[in-house]
Amino acid sequence: MKSRQHTTMIVVFLFPAVLAYVLIYLYPTLRTGVMSFFQVDTITTSIAGWRFIGMGNYVFLFESPLFLRSIRNIAFFWFAGAIMAFFFALLFAVVLTSGVRGKSFFKAVIYLPNVISAVAMGTMWTQYVYSARYGLLKNLFTFLGLEELAAIQWTSPDFVSWALLIAYTFGMIGYFMLIFIAAIEKIPQDYFEAATIEGANKIRQFFTITLPLIKNVFRTNIVLWTVSTTTVGFFIWVQVFSPRLIEQGTVTPMVYMYQSIFGAEMVVTARNVGAGAAIGVILSLMVLGVFLVTAKFLKDDKTEF
Amino acid sequence: MKRFTFLIICIGLMASMGLFAGGQQSASEAQTTLVYWSMWNQTETQGQVLTQAIRDFEQQNPGVRVQVNWNGREIRQTLQPALDQGVTIDLWDEDLERVILTWGNYALKLDPFFEQSYPTTNNQPYKDVVMGSLLDLARNIAPDGALYAVPYQPFVFNMMYNKSHFQQAGIQQVPRTWAEFMDAMAKLKAAGFEPMTIDNAYMDTLPGYYLARAKGPEWVAQLVSDRTNAMWDDPAVLQMARAFEEMATKGYFSRTVESNVWPAGQQDLAAGTVSMYLNGTWLVNEIMNTTGPDFPWGTFAFPEVPGGVTGRTAANYGSQAFQINKNSAHPELAFKLAVHLTTGRWDEELAKRTFGVPVGGTTDWPVQLADARAIFNSLDTHYPWAGGIQANPEKLPVIIENFTRLIAGRITADQFVNNLKR
Amino acid sequence: MKNTAQNRIIGKQAPLVPGYFMVGLWTILTLWIVGWIIVASFSTTPAIFSGTMGKGGFHPENYVRALITHNVLGYFLNSLIYTFSASFGVLAIAAPASYVLARYVFPGNKLIQNAFVAALGIPAIMIIMPLFSLFAGLGWSNSRILLITLYTGFNVPFTVFFLIAFFQNIPYEFEEAAAIDGCSPMKTFWVIMFPLVQPGVITVTIFNFITIWNEYFMALIFANTNRLRPVAVGLFQMIQSMRYTGDWAGMFAAVVIVFLPTLILYIFLSERIIAGVTSGAIKG
Repeated sequence: MKSRQHTTMIVVFLFPAVLAYVLIYLYPTLRTGVMSFFQVDTITTSIAGWRFIGMGNYVFLFESPLFLRSIRNIAFFWFAGAIMAFFFALLFAVVLTSGVRGKSFFKAVIYLPNVISAVAMGTMWTQYVYSARYGLLKNLFTFLGLEELAAIQWTSPDFVSWALLIAYTFGMIGYFMLIFIAAIEKIPQDYFEAATIEGANKIRQFFTITLPLIKNVFRTNIVLWTVSTTTVGFFIWVQVFSPRLIEQGTVTPMVYMYQSIFGAEMVVTARNVGAGAAIGVILSLMVLGVFLVTAKFLKDDKTEF
Repeated sequence: MKRFTFLIICIGLMASMGLFAGGQQSASEAQTTLVYWSMWNQTETQGQVLTQAIRDFEQQNPGVRVQVNWNGREIRQTLQPALDQGVTIDLWDEDLERVILTWGNYALKLDPFFEQSYPTTNNQPYKDVVMGSLLDLARNIAPDGALYAVPYQPFVFNMMYNKSHFQQAGIQQVPRTWAEFMDAMAKLKAAGFEPMTIDNAYMDTLPGYYLARAKGPEWVAQLVSDRTNAMWDDPAVLQMARAFEEMATKGYFSRTVESNVWPAGQQDLAAGTVSMYLNGTWLVNEIMNTTGPDFPWGTFAFPEVPGGVTGRTAANYGSQAFQINKNSAHPELAFKLAVHLTTGRWDEELAKRTFGVPVGGTTDWPVQLADARAIFNSLDTHYPWAGGIQANPEKLPVIIENFTRLIAGRITADQFVNNLKR
Repeated sequence: MKNTAQNRIIGKQAPLVPGYFMVGLWTILTLWIVGWIIVASFSTTPAIFSGTMGKGGFHPENYVRALITHNVLGYFLNSLIYTFSASFGVLAIAAPASYVLARYVFPGNKLIQNAFVAALGIPAIMIIMPLFSLFAGLGWSNSRILLITLYTGFNVPFTVFFLIAFFQNIPYEFEEAAAIDGCSPMKTFWVIMFPLVQPGVITVTIFNFITIWNEYFMALIFANTNRLRPVAVGLFQMIQSMRYTGDWAGMFAAVVIVFLPTLILYIFLSERIIAGVTSGAIKG
């Protein structure tokens, strides 16, 4: 009786989501997967016009220095950005849930950059913060007397990777902070009160209570960070930092994929949508891989509260 | 309270859905509808002029309605899927080269239409009232030498400069050779200007143009596509690198040249900080907001280089172009619309309002482009974009990164060549 | 008496001073940067690019230009319709699914979870283009219902994935107690479990809301008429045309015009929902 009730519920609860997935994702996903083994002219060419080339697209990609560079870049952006984003997001989440006043205000302001169009934010960073003539950083460092730092040309080839990453991560901190706050708010206050009575300070409380209890959400955040850096979110920023031309310091697999699918910006170049599909598959496997690895390392040991 | 808000939202939602779901306007009977997918946004000047021109066309041709889909530059992504699915589209536009090479298979061969005369062509065949060089170019791009597109809004890519700076520096005549060019920059620098700048978005154009002048655009395309990298040992490459290295060491490039993210560099030209910028004639429109209409615009052809095989009559030029669907039910009408938009009053209006080049042979040019007109008339050789340096998209980012370092004085000419051979 | 109360407050707040300092510094930086955008929107293009916005004067006409030449206001209603309908739709579909995926062991559970995660990694363009061909071939395009359905379905994997983590952390005693009280599993979900993950639900709804509000590419190709376009398409076209014509002050004005209602909506939403939750007084 009980188990049948459960089966019914599982089916009823799961059906709409699975249906939505099948309707919207399954066909394009399978199509992309299959397409990655074919030579295809345009993204909407019907299957009759595809030419099977086996692993050809993958071989092509892994022999392309530019694609390999894009993979190296994304690994750097992913890793260095994650450390920055999670450090600050967690820090602010802990501070804002520790009983400071004006919490809603701080929360809203730190999340604010997410609400503004990425093109506007990117323009602001490239033309104002990083400007070598009148930039915020230049003026700030000059004011502080740090002439060497003030002389840095942030968007030159030597620094542009960092410049892009800092600008992007700055905006994402609010996003992950919001998720961490939601998770911390679920932790019952009694835990902290008990710990305080036992004499544990804030830092100890963070490591013994907060961190273990938000492990699942941490896992979620790592996957979401992977998604946002590898796909669309980051792509728009790259386009503001490197308009029209692909630059080695900012190229990511998504940029490379767009060129494969739609050709270069200024000239008509050969298009290979199959290679674009192969990049889609690679990106998807990367996200899945991160998901599985984090699930293994941050294993859910059934912490309950 | 909460429930109340929710209720309001729900009611609003339903009302609006009901309102709009039934809102399909019934197209009035006995009308011919042309569907135009545009590369412009309705909010751009081009979009606004075209809107007016199309309204005028509808008035002159009763019973014809033109439905415009403003796609913006996203048309590069949206058009082909729609064509593949047989969506009704009679005409569309984009860059001349792109429409012919990318969408040529969907397009109608237009040669017979070009031979006829139209209300705005003064009884002459259409082909005789528009810029002949563009029609030749269109024929050259097409694999079978036929006309698959109607060019409009031409451009030429050359040195755009500030005439008042040249006067103040005492430069009598625009430089024709590299030596004169270096001399002019020395004078500009002495007069207190930053002679030259460039943005990251156009970083390929300087080395591309130099190499195309030195060895011709076909050679440049071979150079960048050469998998052995042996061609980079050619003395012309080192000569090019040395030329720009000299400019860097003499301080002729703007001091922010390595960190210019478009449009920072062109804004420096507009602000009067910098004197020269290699770009298309569209630059006038692109920075008009900053320069105002009275900016002392000048244009000169990229100088000849020592031992070069192509001269100042070679340049990258092109245009936007309309294309007509080969499955269109009304090809004559669609062509008539294209003619209406590219001749007479509307050609002039488009040129005037966008500070661009008109396609009509007798149409007035905006004053800002007076020099460009002379250059356009002298052209005899066509360069692809940036002299062909984009032929290999894999190599391009390596070239621009090292070239940026070269003109910032961070590496020497020899290092540049070595880095590119890797 | 009053003094001790004050001391208590100070005693509670004193350890938080470094926290205030860090958050405060970050807030100033953010407001400075956002403030720059707002100041730029009242400035002129030459002033923006010469770093002299303070001296360039006050130019509200940027807004007039953005509003008159661009039909943004007409698009707002469309955006509201799409965003509200799809945000509710996503939640109704995804919350129950994430609950059973998080808390019940059954064959195929891991497979479904992995499929949803893999879907997150596929570039949107690879999803949207084939769907467009498919629907255009069937003659389905340019309808509100289609776009809402797409937005709903499109955000399901993300929302399911997001909420799973929140459902996983709830103790099983809740369901056990409910079962003893004779509450059916489905009722248990809606009455007990769903309210328990409210912080997660609010957060993900805000994210979905902003994602759908800002989405422009699907809207551009699936709602390719002025009548159906949401504000994101209008904004995108405005931004692009102002970039091409070098009207950068106008671009920032356009961004602010679109961003202010979004901000108000965001504050309203989060405050409203949070108020609703706390008044419900459900405690973990």
